[in-house]
Amino acid sequence: MNPILNKSSRNFLWQHPWQLALAIVGIALGVAVVISIDLAMESSLTAFDQAGKAFSGTATHRIIASDGGLDEKLYTQLRVGQGIIKLSPVVSGYVQLAAQSDNRFKLIGIDPFIEKSFKPIWQQEQNKNQTADFLMRLVVEPNTVLISDKTAQSLNLKINDDFTILTDNGKQRLKIIGLLHANNAISEEVLAKLIITDIASAQEVLGSFGRLSSIEVLMDSYEPETLTKILKVLPGSALFISVDSQSQSMREMTRAFSINLNALGLLSLLVGMFLIYNTMTFLVMQRRKLIGSLRAIGVTRRQIFKLIIGEAFLLGIIGTLIGIALGIALGQGLLYMVSETINAIYFRIDTASLMITSAQIGKGVCLGIGATLAAVLPPAWEATRFSPVTALIRSRLESNTRRVVGVAKLLSFILIAGGITLAFFSGKSISCGLAAIFLILFGFALFTPAFTLWFMQLTDKLFGRFLSIVGRLPPRMVASEISRTGIALAALMIAVSATIGMELMIGSFRQTVTEWVQASLPADFYVSLPEEKMIAGKATEEHQLKKKLAELPGVQMLSSVLHTKIIANDEFTKVSVFELNPESRKGFIFKHKVSDSLWDRFEQQHTVMITEPYAYYHAINVGQKILLQTDKGKQPFEVIAVYADYSGDQGRLSMSRQNYQQYWPDLGYSGIGVYAGENTDLGQLENQLYKLLSGQQSVKSDKAIYKASMEVFEQTFSITETLRWLSAAVAFVGVLSALMALQFERTRQLGVLRAIGLTPRQLTCLVISETGLMGLIAGLFAIPAGYIVAYILIFVVYERSFGWTMAFHFDPAVIYQGLALAIIAAVLAGVFPALKMAQIKPAEALRLE
Amino acid sequence: MQAEAAIIIKELNKSYQESGVRHDIFKGLNLNVNNGEFIVLLGRSGSGKSTFLNLISGIDCPDRGKIIINGTNITALSEHDRTLFRRHHIGFVFQSYNLIPTLTVAENLLLPLELIKRITQKDRDKVCELLEKLNFADRLDSYPDRLSGGEQQRVAIARALIHDPDVILADEPTGNLDLDTGQQVLELLDTLVKKAGKTMIMVTHSQEVIGKADRVFSIKNKCLVIN
Ligand SMILES: Nc1ncnc2c1ncn2[C@@H]1O[C@H](COP(=O)(O)OP(=O)(O)OP(=O)(O)O)[C@@H](O)[C@H]1O
Ligand SMILES: [Mg+2]
Repeated sequence: MNPILNKSSRNFLWQHPWQLALAIVGIALGVAVVISIDLAMESSLTAFDQAGKAFSGTATHRIIASDGGLDEKLYTQLRVGQGIIKLSPVVSGYVQLAAQSDNRFKLIGIDPFIEKSFKPIWQQEQNKNQTADFLMRLVVEPNTVLISDKTAQSLNLKINDDFTILTDNGKQRLKIIGLLHANNAISEEVLAKLIITDIASAQEVLGSFGRLSSIEVLMDSYEPETLTKILKVLPGSALFISVDSQSQSMREMTRAFSINLNALGLLSLLVGMFLIYNTMTFLVMQRRKLIGSLRAIGVTRRQIFKLIIGEAFLLGIIGTLIGIALGIALGQGLLYMVSETINAIYFRIDTASLMITSAQIGKGVCLGIGATLAAVLPPAWEATRFSPVTALIRSRLESNTRRVVGVAKLLSFILIAGGITLAFFSGKSISCGLAAIFLILFGFALFTPAFTLWFMQLTDKLFGRFLSIVGRLPPRMVASEISRTGIALAALMIAVSATIGMELMIGSFRQTVTEWVQASLPADFYVSLPEEKMIAGKATEEHQLKKKLAELPGVQMLSSVLHTKIIANDEFTKVSVFELNPESRKGFIFKHKVSDSLWDRFEQQHTVMITEPYAYYHAINVGQKILLQTDKGKQPFEVIAVYADYSGDQGRLSMSRQNYQQYWPDLGYSGIGVYAGENTDLGQLENQLYKLLSGQQSVKSDKAIYKASMEVFEQTFSITETLRWLSAAVAFVGVLSALMALQFERTRQLGVLRAIGLTPRQLTCLVISETGLMGLIAGLFAIPAGYIVAYILIFVVYERSFGWTMAFHFDPAVIYQGLALAIIAAVLAGVFPALKMAQIKPAEALRLE
Repeated sequence: MQAEAAIIIKELNKSYQESGVRHDIFKGLNLNVNNGEFIVLLGRSGSGKSTFLNLISGIDCPDRGKIIINGTNITALSEHDRTLFRRHHIGFVFQSYNLIPTLTVAENLLLPLELIKRITQKDRDKVCELLEKLNFADRLDSYPDRLSGGEQQRVAIARALIHDPDVILADEPTGNLDLDTGQQVLELLDTLVKKAGKTMIMVTHSQEVIGKADRVFSIKNKCLVIN
């Protein structure tokens, strides 16, 4: 390259450190948000994947069972009866430390000698001789375990120490006989949350005598005989699946969540692109004289183009690198929120620490630099077109801009119409729904300048004559420099309308969920019972408890539910098994009209009711049949109703206990609803209930459950909330940068005003009222945009993501808040440039051409 | 009774600091300008003519020395007070017109008035009258970028006079105009100022104007020298 040529323009760059810094902040924030989401999401899922690998090792397939687990005998049958050798039985369950009840571990029981061929992570890193010794002791001594050296260190435990854990089966003491060492960060992460023991100890500790959680299978590529043998003895409550398909289906499950999060990340990047575009346009326009002179002395268009792109590239790299560092820090924060949300609506995962892969970093780099270059193409191309002779004057540029505004207006209609069409005619695709939102937002952004010009004309016509001359200046300035103000307005408009849209959506959702939760809590108290269903004797104990509850004075009636899994249409499906009473039946909110005979059919015929998400995902409707796997083969059950359920997006079935008992094992209950008679002292009743409970059983009032449910609800939105504020922050930086550029460009004009006699304070007021006005326009325009976004979020994206429908709940407060947000952000962003301009010396300002 | 001089400049020093090196522009400059006097300032490019006008108008500050305008020592005023002084007492005509592009011709003229007081119908009439004198009555609502350079400069002159300032400062008002148009502008300036009996300092190279001046100075050796 040409060093002096580069210097001629680079010197100019250094004279605008603020613009450079803001552009870098813009890219950095955009990239940071995108990669932090990616890192947090991937880390959560990888943690889940790896935890599986930690004990399944090279297993290719897995026999998994419903909540009741597998009978041990199945293992013997496969190994001895069918002669399949590469099998490894597993018993697992969650336990808590007695000393720190929030510290949960996964207790895994394996057959230490068989495990070897599976090369699980926990064995890979260990010293061979020592390992043999461990394994022998695991089998021989009861309740002996291995934990990772890191965990031991953090709990202050050594080899041969004892520690107490809490399980659904009660308190247990475990003895550490060995420490596991991990050689890499991922294994370390995984091992830190595991306690490894042998099958017998695990069964003892978890209370699941004679049961297995799963059987790991190692099968060479494709072995039809093994497959047939396994399927022959497989009981109705078990599925034989490949490990890959399991981890894939887990990703599939969280896909909607992940797409929605990524969309929020892209929103930040999009706003970040406005920033780059603004900065580069500013730098190009400010240098039009310089570029004109360069062209005059023989610098080619291509050289100019390279020069501009080169600068952008440099900015892009710096911004991206900072963004990656920032993203890693941010990812750390998001990780917790992501795993909590996955826990709340999908499946149990343990909070892991951030795992950073080069692929993810690479993605961040490509996005950052790609976005920068995309944003800089228009100004770079523009720069090549500066004629060597005439350096364009600003007003000419502005009249060009007005033509562009016209074109943008046309384009915006096309984008908005295209977005709306895409939203409603794209089947079940979530990405298309979100893409539609982006199109619409972008369309509105392009329309912003035209709207602004129109609005300013209107203001001038309506209020102009009542305003002082100085008062007329702000609206005129906004309109006359639309090429600059338009960018700031568009960035702010996008952020505010996204905020309004999401607020309206969350508000509608909250309203819907509140009504639903309230309706589905008809009982006065709910007794909740341990989740672990493999515990021997659990069912018997719970039946006794239920009997005692019914006999308590003041208890009018009971209802019960058992949450378990049944194989429906060849997939494990969540099923709620109900014993209902007239009150609890009112707890169902149906999505259609139901006939009076519904409940009779529910109790007496082979029928199920399905949740709305289930109906959506499986495209099943009332009247159709679902095949449920039983030990006596597949049985058809007719769908008789679809009801609302916002507790998860995987969908579930519900059936009567009568139906369930015909085909599936008795696993006790998950919860029992207690209905007090009239004039019963509820406080007293609660005490009595409490006295009947033991171990992990607990009782909560309907109010307490309502409160807890709503907390979970709010919690699942905490990440959305956080990301939204981040994109608002990027927008704020964008507005700040555009305003700084704007004020710089009109330094001379402001100098003239000062020379005529405006005081610095009047100048500050002038600039701030101009930016406040811009905030007002952005806010006003964001209202219809936000409204449309909310509409699409509710009726398109959320339905496709989670299968939920809800009512649009309009809350005017959201509109006021959005408007206030826009104005406050714009005014705040205006303060710094306003003060800076007020300080400028008029003599210096007038020197500028 | 001898009238107090309109502008008194005493021991004026001005320098610029540029990359650590000091450039002296004025050193110990003294000048008295009488009320109603028309002064022309000459000098090589870069000798400090614009700087001199900026100092008098108070948009720039001297390193040392006093500038007293109609009895007010503007070098002793704060930035804010100097601005208030400027709005009342100084009218400025720039080489590149410097009209406010977002205001119409009429509004550009009303702006200095508005800074001083409430605008009344009388003020509006005054603006119309003045524009009529300039043959501009029909361009009242035009924006400056629709006017030719000469027209813009005529409006700029009107703007400098509208609020009845004591001192008019003009920095090469014809520098951007062709000879003929420049002539018209200068004539206008001359008649309007003379008639109103205002004090004026003008930077120009026009021989004709130099002939009409009461005194002509040039900047030499960082001081003013009478021609
Ligand atoms: N802000 C500044 N920083 C440094 N030097 C300056 C600054 N402003 C003016 N100067 C210098 O002061 C000197 C006088 O400048 P000024 O603009 O007053 O000249 P001038 O006589 O009006 O010239 P011209 O006829 O070309 O308009 C010049 O040498 C200029 O370089
Ligand atoms: Mg000059």
